[in-house]
Amino acid sequence: MPDSPITKETLEYLAKLASIELHPEMEARLLKDLQNILAYVSELQAVDTSGVQPMNGGTELLNVFREDAASANTNRGHGKEQFPATEKGFLKIPPVFK
Amino acid sequence: MNLSDLTLRSFHDGLRGKKFSALEAVQEHFKAIRAKDPGIHAYLTLLEEDATGIAGQVDESLAKGDQLAPLAGAPLAIKDNFLIKGHQATAGSKILEGYTASYDAHVIEKLKSERAVFLGKTNLDEFAMGTSTENSAFGPTKNPHDLERVPGGSSGGSAAAVAGNLALAALGTDTGGSGRQPAALCGVVGFKPTYGAVSRSGIIALGSSLDQVGILAKTTEDVAMLFRAIAGHDPMDATSVAVRYDKDLIEPDIKSMRGLTIGVPKEYFIDGIAPDVREGMDTAMRQLKDLGFKFKEISLPHTKYAISVYYVILPAEASATLARFDGIRYAGRPELPNNFTAPRGAGFGPEPTRRIILGTFVLSAGYYDAYYKKAQEVRTLVKDDFVQAFKEVDVIFAPTAPSSAFKIGEKSDDPLKLYLEDAFTIPVNLAGIPAVSIPVRGRTGLPVGFQLIGRHFREADILGIGRIYEEAQK
Repeated sequence: MPDSPITKETLEYLAKLASIELHPEMEARLLKDLQNILAYVSELQAVDTSGVQPMNGGTELLNVFREDAASANTNRGHGKEQFPATEKGFLKIPPVFK
Repeated sequence: MNLSDLTLRSFHDGLRGKKFSALEAVQEHFKAIRAKDPGIHAYLTLLEEDATGIAGQVDESLAKGDQLAPLAGAPLAIKDNFLIKGHQATAGSKILEGYTASYDAHVIEKLKSERAVFLGKTNLDEFAMGTSTENSAFGPTKNPHDLERVPGGSSGGSAAAVAGNLALAALGTDTGGSGRQPAALCGVVGFKPTYGAVSRSGIIALGSSLDQVGILAKTTEDVAMLFRAIAGHDPMDATSVAVRYDKDLIEPDIKSMRGLTIGVPKEYFIDGIAPDVREGMDTAMRQLKDLGFKFKEISLPHTKYAISVYYVILPAEASATLARFDGIRYAGRPELPNNFTAPRGAGFGPEPTRRIILGTFVLSAGYYDAYYKKAQEVRTLVKDDFVQAFKEVDVIFAPTAPSSAFKIGEKSDDPLKLYLEDAFTIPVNLAGIPAVSIPVRGRTGLPVGFQLIGRHFREADILGIGRIYEEAQK
């Protein structure tokens, strides 16, 4: 698909933006899949949407406010127990400087 | 105790009538799981210790003469993208292997307050991306009706658990059909409430403008019982709405229900439907007509664009929601990698990778208007189709999936083929309306499901018609 907006170069650039390391053997297959999917969804370009507002979410657009007050119902500290190593209340990670 | 005859309703009645204890029911289920699940692979983790503990407490309360909540002691299965404090939540991905939830999802809290029993966490396509449960990093789930076939997806584990009598009912999620399509393929009831009816707090997000909880059960009455328990506003999910459901949700007013008009959208009865699905739809329509329901042909002209809209909007949202999984946060062994792209490359399977890259592309400068904004505009048109149709009819009838359960591996080489599986379920998510998939009764062969689609927050209409249908076909 020579006129696809996704080429090998754009794919590699997108992978960098998305922080995903692609395995070389996967790359060719992924490129083909993405080109096929984009060719399919490009049918949308033919739909007349002049004067149509985009639907930005799944619900009516309402602002949701809450009281500007402290709440006791927080989850603070709860992630700690699943950390692999702790010492004296500190989280232990492998040394950064060797 | 015959598990295949047991529903949430008859379980509750049997428990109160002391026909069996909650502990017996739990033990019976684990016996069935040990015998059958090695072949089906519906569960990723079993929570036997917690389950027997809660069941024991329910039995003690009952012995003391306490009132029981409707779901007390009910053995349920929970999709592995819900957080249950202290237990793993993998979302079917290697990137979350070893992660333990540090809090309960809102719906889990609600079910715990009724003392429902969680038997285990069920298998799913990685991050709920798929229609066959073949995309799970922990191996596929099989359809209990035929172990060589897929159970559908992404809530395939939950559907298979209910269909295989390995749980009375289950929670799944439904972003584009992930609750209804596996229900159809496994011959159980699958339900997606209105967007905003149930809080998503504590459920691993896929596409935030589309995600809803899914309920899988044996009957629409059971669906209503579970839905009543989990619906409601939650400050932790800003999209959740405080809607009060009347008692017609649980006890439908049969007389007024029969006056409802059912619309049949011509765009859903196209050439791509498999012969057994078409025949199933004819059967179901005839059965409903025999019950006195009026049918009317309608048109939802933008239906054919729904898949394209979805596969632009969903990857865009998924690329954002999955950005948090960087191999450091939520990881079993957090460490600072030398190369930050490596853990994501190794942790995500092919489907999340495909969607993250696609989402990154449609959101990128130069392509945003052409793809993402355009898709949002066409989404409005898809929703407006439903708004128009609901001026003429009360409920819409459609097939749930274009085919019955297909063979494992049959479509997995081509992602587009799998995407088309959701052609009839996606429009409902785009519009944010409720729908239920109900197995067509009185036929042989692989299960086929039909959908009833309702107005915003009119779950009572679709579940009520479902109930009339099921009771007539008993």
